[in-house]
Amino acid sequence: MALSMDGLKARQLAEFSVPAASVGVAAGLVAGGLAAFVGRPIGEALLTGLGLAIPLALFGAGYAVLLALGKIPAGVFAPAAVYWVIGFPLSLLVHSVVTEWTVAGTPGLPAEPLKFLAFRALLSMGFAIGFIWMHEQLGRHWWPRILEHNPYSLRVVKQYVELADSLAERKAATDRHRTKKRRERTA
Amino acid sequence: MDVTSKTSEVPEEPAAAAVTDRVWKAGRLEPMPIRPLPPAPPSLHILGPTVFLVALGVGMGESYMWPRLVLVFGPDIRWLFMIGVTLQAFVLLEMARYAMATGESIFFGAARVFKPMMWFFYVAAILIYIWPGHLSAGAAAFEEISGIPWQVSACVALVFVGVLFSMLSVIYNFLEKLLGFLIGFLVVGTSIIAAIVGSWDDLAQTISGMFAFGFLPDKALSDVWFPILVGSIAFAGPSGMQQMWYTLQLRDSGAGMGAHIPKIRGLRSADEAESMPSRGYMFDTENPEEMKKWKGWRKWVTFDALLLFWGITMLVTISFTVLAMSAARENPNVANLIEGGDREAALKAMSDAFASAGSPILGTLFFAFIALIGLNATLGLFDSFSRGQADMTYYFIPGAKRFSMSRLYAGFLWGVITFGILILLFGPADGPAGILDILAFLSTFAMGAYCIVLLLVNNKLLPKPIRPGPIRNVIIGFGAVFYLGMLFYSLVRFGVVVG
Repeated sequence: MALSMDGLKARQLAEFSVPAASVGVAAGLVAGGLAAFVGRPIGEALLTGLGLAIPLALFGAGYAVLLALGKIPAGVFAPAAVYWVIGFPLSLLVHSVVTEWTVAGTPGLPAEPLKFLAFRALLSMGFAIGFIWMHEQLGRHWWPRILEHNPYSLRVVKQYVELADSLAERKAATDRHRTKKRRERTA
Repeated sequence: MDVTSKTSEVPEEPAAAAVTDRVWKAGRLEPMPIRPLPPAPPSLHILGPTVFLVALGVGMGESYMWPRLVLVFGPDIRWLFMIGVTLQAFVLLEMARYAMATGESIFFGAARVFKPMMWFFYVAAILIYIWPGHLSAGAAAFEEISGIPWQVSACVALVFVGVLFSMLSVIYNFLEKLLGFLIGFLVVGTSIIAAIVGSWDDLAQTISGMFAFGFLPDKALSDVWFPILVGSIAFAGPSGMQQMWYTLQLRDSGAGMGAHIPKIRGLRSADEAESMPSRGYMFDTENPEEMKKWKGWRKWVTFDALLLFWGITMLVTISFTVLAMSAARENPNVANLIEGGDREAALKAMSDAFASAGSPILGTLFFAFIALIGLNATLGLFDSFSRGQADMTYYFIPGAKRFSMSRLYAGFLWGVITFGILILLFGPADGPAGILDILAFLSTFAMGAYCIVLLLVNNKLLPKPIRPGPIRNVIIGFGAVFYLGMLFYSLVRFGVVVG
């Protein structure tokens, strides 16, 4: 029973993480797709893309899980920046190892691995802005769909409840105002 | 994401308001009725109307002109970019002050002070922005990827934009979402490319160069490079009249008193558009509750100015500079081509350098991003231009009120599209060679001029409690002197406008 509960939770968390993982997959697959487009062997293009897509998608999903569990607030930049300062350089390290593997035949670390990581950690800030931006764009369409059976989705959407409320209120107020004016005009 | 729909509400007008109708007299035109200010949105938000400014601002200046200067003069020249973008962030905040307090565009504000100033912007906008040259860089990059001749893709893009904007119910909401998504993708993508091909040293030099205040080698003061430098500073972030159009997007997003102004609709739903009020509104600045809401709005727009506008513009330009530096290291020929100023050859060489250096996909990806930047700018530019001209036409050309604002918007949109297609097929895309200098002059002059307009409208037309403080005024005043001073220095000293 406990096992199936855990299984259910994991499935719900995975479902909640779809938008976050998609950002990573998109980043990697665009890279792989373009490699195929410019005429690289399919296998090489696929590996290059996956080498980046998988780690970014996994880290993306990790971020979403923290969000779902309420460990970090929704839509706020600072926690995302801290998260990706670790996740982004590590993802690119994996990508570098995989690329080395496809080119040289054996996996290998980049020269000066610490400098490699530090540089990417600095750039991660930019990635974090883009990530949180796209994540929210995709999530806005995805979470409301799974709201009914996914408590994590419900919890996050509730964080936006104040905003959603004002949406409804504003719409109602505007409509009331317009109907009133229309009535006045026709009268 | 519509700012207001997500965050604020239009308060019901108190019944008394219609009867007593207190007004705020601003300038010579119709006074503004006092209405309630909508509550400010919580600071938690990702997107806002600033996305338009980012889409317009992150263009050739960031992706080409500044990387070029870095290769010629070294990374230390970037302190001028830092000043240019920071100044633009303050301009953004001051543009927002007037637009959010009144729901009027800055053009309307200019007309309240002195009508000919508004007419200058009306004519300048047509002269500067009617030429479809801005499409060429993006479409040329697309040609590199797809092989489709750039004139074809540019014409198709023009018609597509026209049809799309005509079919939409409310244009602003759709465009904000689309541009938001595209910019998110651009930011993620450029971070990844820069992370793959760049190095620690490139980044360290690029960033430290931003603080090398005062660095100006003799070569930069030559007749060849000074006008280019002036042009590049003017193109750091949003250039020309883009900041002025931002006030219209703020209004349509419903920020501040803009919530009381109806939205512009696509041609298909133009009949549903409500009639525009003949002027903006003011809120009661004597009421502490209203002032509290106003502070909330200022906080909201400051977040936009700092993180979204300043942060993303900086990030994209840092990424592209890192890319240019690593391309030049990879292939010294790139540096020569970039310095030589042939934009297409330089971008192609950069793409080749990435393709041969890292993974071959990078070259294509690089072009894809140049094309994406072009698309963003085109979408933003057509919308903004039509919005600005429709606004001024509606309010200030006698008889224009017969047409709704949405119809005027559609008229300008299709006008500029038709003219654009004709020029792409038969004429010079950037404009006739003989007037190129005049257009470059007008574009930079408009920036100095809007700083002066900002000082006037914000200090003369707004109630005292919401006027800018002395520091803000000094910064905007510095902007006017900076843009106009450099423009005229270049003109008098070298006889050249801007590069």
